[in-house]
Amino acid sequence: MTIWKAVAAATVAMPLMWTAAHAQEADKLKTLVVAVPSDPVALEPGTNKAEPIGSEIILNVFDTLVAWTAPDFKQLEGRLAKSWTVSEDGKVFDFKLREGVKFQDGTPFDAAAVKFSLERTKAGNPYVKATFDLIKEITVVSPTELKITLSAAYPAFLSILAQPQSAVVSPAAVAKYGDKFASHPVGTGPFAFKSAQADTNVVLEANPDYFRGAPKLKQIIYRVIPDASTRRLELENGGVDIVQQQGQLSAIAAEDIGALKANKDVKVIETSSQIIRQLEFNNSKTDGPFANVKAREAIAHAIDYDGLLQGVFGGTAERVYGPLTSNSWAFNPKMKELAPKYDPALAKKLLAEAGVNPASITLKLYSFQGPLWGAVATFVQANLADIGINATIEQTEFPALRTLQTSGQFDVALDGRQPWYNDPDAHITIGYLSSLANTAMTFRMPADKDLDALILKAQQTPDQEARKALYFQIQEEIAKRVPGAYLFSPKLIVYARANVEGLVINSAPPLNEYWSVFKK
Amino acid sequence: MHELLIFLKRNTLAVVGLVILLFLVGLITVGPWLTSYLPTRLDILHKLAAPSTSHWLGTDAFGRDVLTRIMYGGQATLSIGVGVVAIAFAVGVFFGVLAGFAGGWLDSVIMRVVDAILAFPALVLAIALSAAFGPSLQNAMLAVAITLAPQFARVARSQALTISVKPYVEAAISLGLSRRRILLRYILVNGLGPLLVQSTLALGSAILQTASLGFLGLGAQPPMAEWGADVSANLQYVRSAAWVALAPGMAILLAVLAFNLIGDSLADWMNPRRRNAID
Amino acid sequence: MASFIIRRLIALIPVMCIVLVIVFSLVRIIPGDPATTLLGPGATAEQIAALRAQLNLDQPVVLQFWQYVAGLFTGDFGVSLKTGQPVAHEILIRLPATIELSVLAVIVAVVFGIPLGVLSATRANSLFDHVTRIVSLIGVSMPAFLLALILQLTFGTWLGWLPVSGRLSPYLPVETVTGFAVLDALITGNFAGAASALAHLVLPTAVLAAFLAATLGRFVRNTMLDVMGEDFIRTARAKGLHNRQVVLEHGLRNSLLPAVTIIGLKFAEMLGGAILTETIFAWPGIGRYMFEAIKNRDYPVIQGTTLVFALLFVLTSIVVDLLYGVLDPRVRRKMG
Repeated sequence: MTIWKAVAAATVAMPLMWTAAHAQEADKLKTLVVAVPSDPVALEPGTNKAEPIGSEIILNVFDTLVAWTAPDFKQLEGRLAKSWTVSEDGKVFDFKLREGVKFQDGTPFDAAAVKFSLERTKAGNPYVKATFDLIKEITVVSPTELKITLSAAYPAFLSILAQPQSAVVSPAAVAKYGDKFASHPVGTGPFAFKSAQADTNVVLEANPDYFRGAPKLKQIIYRVIPDASTRRLELENGGVDIVQQQGQLSAIAAEDIGALKANKDVKVIETSSQIIRQLEFNNSKTDGPFANVKAREAIAHAIDYDGLLQGVFGGTAERVYGPLTSNSWAFNPKMKELAPKYDPALAKKLLAEAGVNPASITLKLYSFQGPLWGAVATFVQANLADIGINATIEQTEFPALRTLQTSGQFDVALDGRQPWYNDPDAHITIGYLSSLANTAMTFRMPADKDLDALILKAQQTPDQEARKALYFQIQEEIAKRVPGAYLFSPKLIVYARANVEGLVINSAPPLNEYWSVFKK
Repeated sequence: MHELLIFLKRNTLAVVGLVILLFLVGLITVGPWLTSYLPTRLDILHKLAAPSTSHWLGTDAFGRDVLTRIMYGGQATLSIGVGVVAIAFAVGVFFGVLAGFAGGWLDSVIMRVVDAILAFPALVLAIALSAAFGPSLQNAMLAVAITLAPQFARVARSQALTISVKPYVEAAISLGLSRRRILLRYILVNGLGPLLVQSTLALGSAILQTASLGFLGLGAQPPMAEWGADVSANLQYVRSAAWVALAPGMAILLAVLAFNLIGDSLADWMNPRRRNAID
Repeated sequence: MASFIIRRLIALIPVMCIVLVIVFSLVRIIPGDPATTLLGPGATAEQIAALRAQLNLDQPVVLQFWQYVAGLFTGDFGVSLKTGQPVAHEILIRLPATIELSVLAVIVAVVFGIPLGVLSATRANSLFDHVTRIVSLIGVSMPAFLLALILQLTFGTWLGWLPVSGRLSPYLPVETVTGFAVLDALITGNFAGAASALAHLVLPTAVLAAFLAATLGRFVRNTMLDVMGEDFIRTARAKGLHNRQVVLEHGLRNSLLPAVTIIGLKFAEMLGGAILTETIFAWPGIGRYMFEAIKNRDYPVIQGTTLVFALLFVLTSIVVDLLYGVLDPRVRRKMG
């Protein structure tokens, strides 16, 4: 019955669509359609909270002073800044700015605009409060020279300046739109904001006067498609050009990636990310089975890491050996040997040494929703069962799990961290500094003077090599405390139609830049 | 018994429904004794294997035998269905009979609450309840039961209203029989027919709604086998290994279909006018 | 008639009050703090407390309830915690998409369901009756997400006839006038846009309508049989009236009345079912909006959308009663 209906309607609609399709061919080559799971939140630097979709749009509509150089993202390059110098004590940053750059509304870009933008974000965006509060003073030396003074040395500051929250806004447009600036964002970037329709799309138009040269595309359309399997269908049908497998919002099953790789209309681009997914303990808990470090070690040895990577992820995730991913510049290669290896016999032995009878533990294994987390939880649960621990899985919604964590009402949880700026600081300080234990997304580390001192020292040491040595030490120290079992790091996967070229994929945070993209 | 045979003889579709139901019940009760696999034992090496002689319906993403999971999953799904309907029946009938028999302000209050619950989109109420009390099978059951109870309340109330004005009930009241006895004896016994039909049909929607909750991740938690949760967890493989999601999906379809076939035919049978028309 | 409407509207008040109390308390027992969700990682306890204060979440629930109800009377549904936009506005821009979809689904369901029910009833216990009953029972028994996927794969991917998601082709923007895409395209003379909008409607409508058409078909068949079993019809038949005439004049007219009730009841149920359909087909309606709000703990949005759903349900039932009056003179007299 339903089929009749569809057939009847299709017969009517088909010829109409055919005529329409012909008029669209030319447009299609100049338009890039990107599938996203939901509307962007806060389309402007002043309120953006690192929500991925809004952040990516900001990165294409605005520019930052500096940016990480593709494809390795280990070196910073100037964007709106031509060059910069850092003082010996690491507190003063002097920038020389690019000349002749104009905002999309025609007003000129200058040092005053940078000062205005950074101060605006500092005042209005709680998300970056911890880092922006370090800014003591911003001085406009001349229209092309800017001096930023910090109250304490913070070498990751340049990395923060490369983030969407630090992008430079048009002061004239802010004055004009006021509170409504987020619905009319104006920057210097390669694409200008054109329109947004709730739960439907966001349309960006090429900025022909872009200072790095006009983009090759005429427009970008972000299409909101909440369902993962629908996104895949649209990609295969050519309804969208790009689908991004977002770390948090896992989009397409590992098995499907094989099928998509075999599809000659689609290409699959994979790169390493700095995202870490782990089984974490409630480390500030002083009672319960996992207060003893031996019991925590036992769990870390109970997990079949390689089986998880191959069996569940089919090679779309990589091994994590410690608190930092192996593609970080501060990664300590020694961690590869120090990391726990799958050994259920050893795990049982360690449990016995800790005086924990696995049969006496009834464990709730908390995790996020979605089939991917469900699969990881199922796998980990089976691993725990192998050493005699009976765990029941509870997949809760994001806000509920966050509440359980900040209030410390759990023993073990599956969780993840996606650094929102490209620096080891993003994983280490938020994750393991004991004074932050009760805030969101931490390992709830107990008070620990030595570790805290190390973390703060590494955060503030200007010299890169000295800093690296400190982070090496920190990784080993943290590993000794076994705050969790580091499970895997999902690769960043971007699916594109085969004719899409020139895509730039950032690794932390995982956002795409479309300035150089074109369609063949 | 004789009545039942006549009923089955005249209702081909009820027989079809009964056969499907017996098949499913056999599958989930006898099946687990016959299979050598366990529903939650992982065997990653043989994951997503196509149907074969060793795995009749193939294996899922963890190498678990799909047929075995359907057998065990059916135990969960069908008992959820029965549990949900039992709760909805008890709650709904209690308040429905109370409203119908008591009348007056009590009737108004109960029926306004029933209206309000009906006005709540069922899935929304279920989502909110599951989110509030945590995702688990029991909570999903309770949530679905609450959304189904108003239907029972309405049927029970109208039965109570019709029956309470019948001469024999009025007679019983004038004879001074206790209200509770009257309620139990006449209203429940005589009004059981329509409630039975309602229950069979509700079984179908209970299973469907629990499956929808499972699809949204609010039902059974892994690694437990349950049809709705299995469909939703495996829907992502539907393109590369269709059997993993389609098999439990078909099981849901068959179970709901069986209950609806039986319920529909029962409804036909219990309605004398409709019987007239068919004859 | 007028006094009937007024009485019904007054009766609506207690129902809406109960709905309001239920949703308000339900939303607050859902675990998860919106302030923690809104602030990112590393947010301190003071920042969370400050944001809670700013959002009025630190006040007693009774006071929050009072403020909310007071706001409702001025059309203020509160402000979305996620976007900072007024909820009333956010609902209004999404409502047309949902109405467009569900009204079309009702029409399709009526066009297919009622004739099938009539044919099935007139040929009761025939092969045709069995087949339509089984097909319609499959329609009722099929989980919506399964049907949606099957249709997407068949008509979108394999046959390539229809778009699998969205409301319009991104290449054919349609100017918003009323918010109803097909209508807007026609008003602005954008015929390609109208065709595209129609094509996008086909699959989600089919999924929503399948359930209703099947329910309606079953129902019409059963009530037709009831009516045809009545003595007056048997008399009519005995008098030698032609079978088709009997069916149309008596059976259909008498069974249409309860069918209207079913449509009314199921229409509201369908609005709820739109949550799944809208999510799968990326349809920008309020069902999906509500689901996202529950996921994000966006209290004011959950409250607002639930109230709108409940109101639509109650209003539909009033319209159904009015239609009763139009269709049946006996009821009209009773209404006064």
